[in-house]
Amino acid sequence: MKVQLENITLAYGDAVAIKDLSVDIADGESLVLLGKSGCGKTSTMRCVAGLETPLSGRITIGDTVVFDSERRVDVPPNKRNVGMVFQSYAVWPHRTIFHNVAFSLRQQKLPKAEIRERVRDVLDLVGLTEFADRGASLLSGGQMQRVALARSLVMRPSVLLLDEPLSNLDARLRDRLRVELREIQQRLSLTCVYVTHDQSEALALADRIALMQNGRIVQIDRPEKIYDAPFSASIADFLGVSNIFPCTRVASRENLSVLGLTGHDVEVLSRSLPTGPEGAAEGSGAADPADPATPRVCIRPEDIRLLTEPLPEGGNNWLGKVEVVSFQGSYVRYRVGLKGGPELDALVPRHGSALLPVGTPVWATAEPTAVQVLPAEVPA
Amino acid sequence: MTAAIARLRRALPTGVLLLGLATLVIVPMLFILLAAFSTEVPRPGSIGLDALSLENFEVLSTSQAMGALGNSVFIAGAASLVALAIGCGLAFLAARTDAPARRLLYFTGIAPLFLPSLVGALAWSLLGSPATGFLNLLLHGVGLDMTLDIYSRPGLIMILALYYAPYAFLLVHSALSLMNPDLEEAAFVHGGTRRHTLRRITFPLAMPAILGSGILIFALTMENFPVAQVIGNPGQVDTLPSFIYRLMNASPSRGNEAAAVAVVLTAVLLVVTAIQQRAVLRRKFTTVTGKGVKAKLIPLGRWRWPAFAAAMVYFALAVVLPVTALLIAALQNSPYIASLGQLTDADALSFYSLGEMLTSEDLLQAARNSVLTAVLAGLIGTAISFAISYTVYRTNAPGRRVLEFVAMSPLAVPAIVLGLGLLWTWLVAPIPVYGTMAVLVVAFLAVFLPQGYRGVSASILQVDRDLEDSAVLLGSPRAKAVSYVTLPLMRVGMVSTLLLLLMLCMRELSAALFLFTSDTRLLSILIFDNYDNGAMQGAACVSLLYCGVILVIALLAKSLGAKTVEGSR
Ligand SMILES: Nc1ncnc2c1ncn2[C@@H]1O[C@H](COP(=O)(O)OP(=O)(O)OP(=O)(O)O)[C@@H](O)[C@H]1O
Ligand SMILES: [Mg+2]
Repeated sequence: MKVQLENITLAYGDAVAIKDLSVDIADGESLVLLGKSGCGKTSTMRCVAGLETPLSGRITIGDTVVFDSERRVDVPPNKRNVGMVFQSYAVWPHRTIFHNVAFSLRQQKLPKAEIRERVRDVLDLVGLTEFADRGASLLSGGQMQRVALARSLVMRPSVLLLDEPLSNLDARLRDRLRVELREIQQRLSLTCVYVTHDQSEALALADRIALMQNGRIVQIDRPEKIYDAPFSASIADFLGVSNIFPCTRVASRENLSVLGLTGHDVEVLSRSLPTGPEGAAEGSGAADPADPATPRVCIRPEDIRLLTEPLPEGGNNWLGKVEVVSFQGSYVRYRVGLKGGPELDALVPRHGSALLPVGTPVWATAEPTAVQVLPAEVPA
Repeated sequence: MTAAIARLRRALPTGVLLLGLATLVIVPMLFILLAAFSTEVPRPGSIGLDALSLENFEVLSTSQAMGALGNSVFIAGAASLVALAIGCGLAFLAARTDAPARRLLYFTGIAPLFLPSLVGALAWSLLGSPATGFLNLLLHGVGLDMTLDIYSRPGLIMILALYYAPYAFLLVHSALSLMNPDLEEAAFVHGGTRRHTLRRITFPLAMPAILGSGILIFALTMENFPVAQVIGNPGQVDTLPSFIYRLMNASPSRGNEAAAVAVVLTAVLLVVTAIQQRAVLRRKFTTVTGKGVKAKLIPLGRWRWPAFAAAMVYFALAVVLPVTALLIAALQNSPYIASLGQLTDADALSFYSLGEMLTSEDLLQAARNSVLTAVLAGLIGTAISFAISYTVYRTNAPGRRVLEFVAMSPLAVPAIVLGLGLLWTWLVAPIPVYGTMAVLVVAFLAVFLPQGYRGVSASILQVDRDLEDSAVLLGSPRAKAVSYVTLPLMRVGMVSTLLLLLMLCMRELSAALFLFTSDTRLLSILIFDNYDNGAMQGAACVSLLYCGVILVIALLAKSLGAKTVEGSR
C-alpha cells in the first residue's frame, strides 16, 4: 500500500530529530533512507510504525489516516498493520521460531490449521522450514534476521520497515541476504522502507533513495540519478566521491569552466557550471574553504586515470607523485600528491599490469565531464 | 476530545503511582517535620498544626544530644575506615593475589552478611561484656588480669566494622575482578614495575568503588540502631538513632524532640547519600568495562600465609566466635557461669531450653509474622518496583523523573526515622491499619523501595525495548506484549529482586521498632524484646533460628543464580 508522510516534525524533549519531512511512497515501492548516523532515519520509521508521536504532520497508509496532529488521530501501533524488522532483530529468545512467527496470526485468532500453513509457507520463503521448533536463542545472525523478516511478512503488512537489518552481519552474508531481500520484496511487491548508511546497500535495494541530513530529506530520486547528479558535495561524499576540494572559478574557456583549487596552484577544467553567488567571486581566488557558499570540485576516484606522460590535447593534466599504493584485488587504489596541489585518490582497474611503485611521477587526468562542481551543502 | 481522554489515560497510571509512593514515603517524612516543629505529636483528629513552635530543637543543645551527634559521626567515621580496610584487603586477596584458598576468602568476605548486625551485637555482648563475657572468662581462666569491655566506643566501632565490611568487599571485589587486564599489561609493557603498576594503575581504577563503598558504609553505620542500642546503651554511649529511641521510650514519651533529632539525622544522611550517589554515578565512567577476562594474579611470596591468617582472624571474629557464643548461650542450663570450666560439667549444656523456645507460641507466631510480612512486602515491593521501572524506562510519561526520585529517596532516610514517620502517618490515617501486620508491610515497602527499584530497573534495562515493540507492531495490545515478552525475559531479575527484598525484610529491625504490637511481633523484634528483658538465652535461641532462615533464603537465591547481596544496603 502507498504511504504518505506530510510535514512530519518529531522532537525528543528539546532535540528536534525530524524537521517538516514529507515523502510519498508508492504502492510496491522500495524506498531507502540513507544518511549519516543520527540524521533521523530510525526516528522516521518509528513515526510510521506509531512508536513515536510526532509533534505535527500527517501519516497515511493506503487510504487510512493513521496519524494527524490536527485532527488528533493517532492509531496505536498494533492497529496499523505495519511490519518492522529491527536492527537488533528483536527475535524473542524465550520462544521457538514457530511461536515467534505465528505470533501475529494467533493474535488475530485465526484457526490453527491456517496458522500452521501460513507459518510453513513463510518459513519456506526465507529458507528456515526445518528450524521451526528450534529455540530462537540458538540461531546465527543470518537466521535471526530471517526469522524477524518471516515474522513480519506472515502478517501481510501494509508496509514493511527494515532498520539496518544487515548491519550486524559479516560482509559475505550481507551481500547474499541483500539480494534475497530485494528478490522477496519484488516478488511480493511489498511497499518497503529500508534504512541503511551503507551506500552500496542503498544502491542495490532501492527503487528510490531518500538522502537524509539533520532530520530532513535533502535529495530523493532513483539510485542512478542520485549517483550521477548529487545535489551537494556532502551527498557526493556519502556516495563514495573521495576527491572533494573547495574551488573558485577563474575563467571560462569554450564551454568549460576553469577552476582554481583554493589554496593550491592547480587548475581544473569542468563541464559543469558552478551555481550560486560564487560566480561573482570570479578571479578573486581567495574564497574561504570553510564557507559553505564556496563551491566544491568533486571527482570520483574511478574517474581518474594515471598516465606516464601528459595527454597531448590538453584538458586536465596534473603532474604528481605516487605516495601510497593499496592493492584491492581487481582494483588498485593510489594516493597521488599533485605538484603544488592536494592529494588525489584514484581507483585504477588493474588489467594485469604491474603496480606503480611509490615515488613514481605520474600524470593524473580526468574528463571535464567527470568533474562536478557542487555546493558544499544543499541550502536549507 | 478523544485525544484529551487518551492523554489523561496515559498520565493516569503515573499519577496513581506517584500518589501511592508519596503516601508511602513523603507523607511520613512530612509528619516527622511537622512533629519537629510542633509541641504535639500527630494523633487521630489532630496532626499538631495548631501548636507550632521551635522549642523541640532546644533538645539539640543539650549535652546528651551533642554527645550523641558527636558519637554518631565519630563512630560511623572510624567504623567505615576499619570496615573499608578489612573489605578492601580481603577483596584484594581474593580477587588479585595467589593467596591460598581464594574461594574460602571470598566466602569469608560475604559470610558476615548472614548475621544481621542485631545478632552480631548480641553475640558480642555475650562474648565481651566485662562481667560475664565468655572471652573475659577465658582471659581470667588462663590467669590474665585484663578485661575486655565491648560496651565502649572501640567496641561499637569494631562490631560495626565487622558487619559492614562485606559491603566494601563486594563492591571492591567486583571492581578489581572486572578490571580490564590490558590496562595493567600496558603499564608493564611500558616498563612499570609491579608495585608501581599497582599503585599507579590498579588502585586509581578501583578508587571510585572504594570511595563509593566507604561513603555507603558511613551512611549505614550512622543510621544503625541495633548495635548502638545493644552495645552502646550498657556503656552509656548514645548515638543519634539510640537517642531517638530513648526519647520515644521515655515516659512520658518525648516524640516531638525525637522528631527534631530525626530531622538532624536525616539531614546528615541526605548529604552523605548525595555524595555517595555522585560517586556511584562517576564509577560508571571510570571502572573499566568488565569483559570477564582473568586479570593476572599477584604473587604474595612469603606474605601468602600471614595474609591468609589475617583473613581467618576476621572470619573468627565476625562469624565463628559469635555463632559459638550464641550456641553456648542457647544451650547452657544455668543463666550465669563464673568460668568457662563450668561448661564442661556433665549437665552444663542441654537442648532443653532451645527446644522449649523453638516450640513456644511466641516464637512460632513471630516466625509466621516474619515470613508473612517479608513475603508480602517482597511480592508487593517487586510489583511496585516493576511498575516504577516500566514507567521510568519504557514510557515518556511526564513525571517519570520525579517518580524515580521519590522511589530512591528512602535511601537518605534512616529506617528508624521512616518507622517513626509511618507510626504517626498511620495513627492519623482514617483507615485502621496501625497495629496490624499491614503497617509492617507498608514500612518494609517504604524502607526497601530503592533496593527493589534498583534491582528491577537493572533487569528491565537488559531487555531491549524493541523486543516488546515488535510484539505490539505484530498486532498485540501493549499489556499483552509486556506479559508475553518483557516479563518472561525479566524473570531472573524479578525473582532475585524478590529474594533480595525477602532477605532485607527478614533482617530488618529498626523500621518495625515503633510499629509492632504484641500480636504482630517479628523474629527480629522477638530477639530485641528478649534482650531488652534480659532473657539472653531466649534471644540467643531465636537468633540462631533467625540466622538459619536468612541462610536458607540466601542459598535459595544463590541456587537461582541470582546476585542477591549486590545492591543491598
Ligand atoms: N529516544 C531518544 N531520546 C532522545 N533523543 C533521541 C532518541 N532517539 C533518537 N534520538 C536523537 O534523534 C536523532 C535522530 O536519531 P535516529 O535514531 O533517528 O538516527 P538514525 O539516523 O537512525 O541514526 P543511526 O544511523 O545511528 O541509527 C539523533 O540525534 C538522536 O540522538
Ligand atoms: Mg537508526
